[in-house]
Amino acid sequence: MTLGEYVGRRLLQMIPVILGVTVLVFFMIHLVPGDPARTILGNQATPARVALVRHAWGLDRPLYVQYWKFMGRVAHGNLGDSLFYGVSAGHLVLQRLPVTLWLIILSAIFAVCIAVPLAAVAATKADRAPDHVVRAVPLVGLGFPAFWVGIVLLLIFGLHAGRLFPVGGYGSGFFGHLHSMILPALTVALGLAPILIRSLRASLLEVLESEYVTTARSKGISEKRVMRKHALRNAIISTVSVLGVNIGYLVGGTLVIEQVFALPGIGQLMINSIFQRDFPVVQAVTLVFAVMVVLVYLLTDVAHALLDPRVRFE
Amino acid sequence: MKAGRPLLILALALLAAAGAAAAFAGGKGSSNSAATPQHGGSITIARIEDSQSFDKTNVFQNESIWLLEQVNEPLYTVTADGKGEKPWLATGYKVSNGGKTYTFTLRKGVKFSNGQPMTSADVKFSIDDARAQSKGWGYLDGAIKSISTDGPDKVVFHLKYQWAPFLADIALFANGIIPNHFAGQTRKQFYEHPIGTGPFMWDKRVVGQSVTFKRNPYYWQTGKPYLDSVTWTYVTDENTRALQLQGNQIQVDEFPPFNSITKLQHTPGVTMTLFPSTRTDYLDMQEKYPPLADVHVRRAISYAIDRQAIVKAVLFGFGKPANSFLPPQVPFYSPNAGGLQYNMAKAKAEMAKSKFPNGFKVTMLVGAGAQVEQAMGQILQASLKQLGIDVTFKQQDTSTEFQNIEKENYQLAFSYWTMDIADPDELVEFSVDPKGGGADSFYTSYNNPTVIALSHQAERTPSASKRAQLYTKIQQLAAQDAFQGFLYYSPFRYAYSDKLHGFFVYPLGNYHLEDAWLSK
Repeated sequence: MTLGEYVGRRLLQMIPVILGVTVLVFFMIHLVPGDPARTILGNQATPARVALVRHAWGLDRPLYVQYWKFMGRVAHGNLGDSLFYGVSAGHLVLQRLPVTLWLIILSAIFAVCIAVPLAAVAATKADRAPDHVVRAVPLVGLGFPAFWVGIVLLLIFGLHAGRLFPVGGYGSGFFGHLHSMILPALTVALGLAPILIRSLRASLLEVLESEYVTTARSKGISEKRVMRKHALRNAIISTVSVLGVNIGYLVGGTLVIEQVFALPGIGQLMINSIFQRDFPVVQAVTLVFAVMVVLVYLLTDVAHALLDPRVRFE
Repeated sequence: MKAGRPLLILALALLAAAGAAAAFAGGKGSSNSAATPQHGGSITIARIEDSQSFDKTNVFQNESIWLLEQVNEPLYTVTADGKGEKPWLATGYKVSNGGKTYTFTLRKGVKFSNGQPMTSADVKFSIDDARAQSKGWGYLDGAIKSISTDGPDKVVFHLKYQWAPFLADIALFANGIIPNHFAGQTRKQFYEHPIGTGPFMWDKRVVGQSVTFKRNPYYWQTGKPYLDSVTWTYVTDENTRALQLQGNQIQVDEFPPFNSITKLQHTPGVTMTLFPSTRTDYLDMQEKYPPLADVHVRRAISYAIDRQAIVKAVLFGFGKPANSFLPPQVPFYSPNAGGLQYNMAKAKAEMAKSKFPNGFKVTMLVGAGAQVEQAMGQILQASLKQLGIDVTFKQQDTSTEFQNIEKENYQLAFSYWTMDIADPDELVEFSVDPKGGGADSFYTSYNNPTVIALSHQAERTPSASKRAQLYTKIQQLAAQDAFQGFLYYSPFRYAYSDKLHGFFVYPLGNYHLEDAWLSK
């Protein structure tokens, strides 16, 4: 099977998965206690007014009727209107998606930029001082809660130290977004990098002991070239899988970072819509999450196959 | 010469004293009376919730209401003390026909932000539309039978009956004046970017992020607003808002937590102000649960509430124990309402008189993750234990909590109220009239026919002194019945840049940004 066929098959397999997730979430969110009309109107609205709003939103109809209408809309690509905002739920999600994508992609880049050189140092100086430092210090990033790390970074770089970065927010324009995303992405990367360092270090140690590396060294190839052309290329394969799994967790796991840095991402949208029982938005966000997770895992598998010629698409 | 010298010294001393007084007066509010307002500049207000909608007739959320009030204005508006109304888009009114006809004279020279002059047709349309909203605020205009116009600058309201809160109802934001027939747009289109007579007009909105209004060049108050634009952003984390304020990325931090007030009061460049509000917090007691149907039990619980401890623990001292279900900033609030205050001896005496002298088990709804409710719950649990009342917590998220309170599927729960009008009628009806208020007496099932009758009487009595007597009686009876535990009154908290002046929050929570200005 070629790469194209494999990707095509995986994308087709995505459809029933996403449908299944959407159906499950529909029933789960509707069966959970809590009334969106009451939540949105607040405690000062009378039951009569709440009932009128529920009726206007069609929430007083039997669940199977609501489900049928929902599926009818989905078939036409319409995910419904947000009960809270009164605007298209799909539009809300798509508006916020770039923020979360920025965060995930930049975090992954930062994590790789931190992890690869440090893992290389640790592996080449195994069991010596640099190795111990590299293994111990990044655990600080793993051990401290992300919201605390974020606040500290904001305090240092946003308020003091020359106010190098904005204190939260998303900015405007490409460079504005990039400028605003550096601290949040760094916060996420500081939590992700220790995991990548440990994985890559272990792989590198194994690869550096292998025969083809010994052969390369014996041919007089420099250590830097050995590392770059032979060792890293092979060692990074398993780390790509680790990175992929963690990026999968990041999808939907960026809520705390979004809150600390006031980023209008879909993590924040998801949690607010759950608390508000904003059913259409919950369903829309879940759909997007499901697609993103499936795509991330697909990309991970494809990257794995591209890096390791022994892997066959079946 | 010798005689002139003491006079000179006295003059210099007076000047120095005046200078010192001015230096100490600054930073306590943004009134700086010595400074002249300057035009220009923009401010950003960061708040914990995003705006839901700008349909003034159907939105109940404060974070939407306080914004749309910058765009839409009513005929009369609430006074700064929250206790009355003053002319705004109208300059006055006459009452006739036994108090059932109100004729308002409109202010001359008022224009909408699209340049169109405001006329009586716009007023009639606006309020007819508002009162037709059965899902929204229409119920507050229930006393209006019809509206007619008498020329371009007079509007006549024909009431079904004498209605004492009428002026307060007219001053409600939902009765703000908009262009006739939504200026040719559909209702939905109009409320996506409403047009009004207010100091600011719609600029842009990024849903879930920010709302920006810009200066209305046609505003009727000459020279105002001073600011070029105002942006409201959505920042859920309180630490981030505080940092943004210190970094001058925002100029106003709305509702910093109580535990940060002291720090903010001492932060350079920041003014931290506590504005008196109409927010009152309660402990609801559902009378369908037999022990709580016993007035002696409810009185015992009310006596056992250590309000000072709650104010200290939850509000860090920045609040006051409540003595009535009405807050002090509402007209006809009575300081002699007689709300039961902490007294464990009296609490035990009441329990002894009740049908449950040995106590009972009770569940208390507490919001999951709601630190304030959890702290209050702990204090109450400890107090009630001394009466033999064994409190078990039932933690639920806000949506489920609200739903269970509405369905009266609770025994003890926390609730609160903030006023929408400068009249006690809305809250009184909601709290003590099970049918008339539509909420079974704030979902407590409290039913005292005498109190209900007094509340109806107070609605139809035009005399302010007579209403004061009626509402005092209502408050006293409600306190004696202890249908709720009146917990505390808390202020509106705003931290803002000391470059911002003229920023003042009214007891109803709204603010008139036409008066705000930035110093350079």
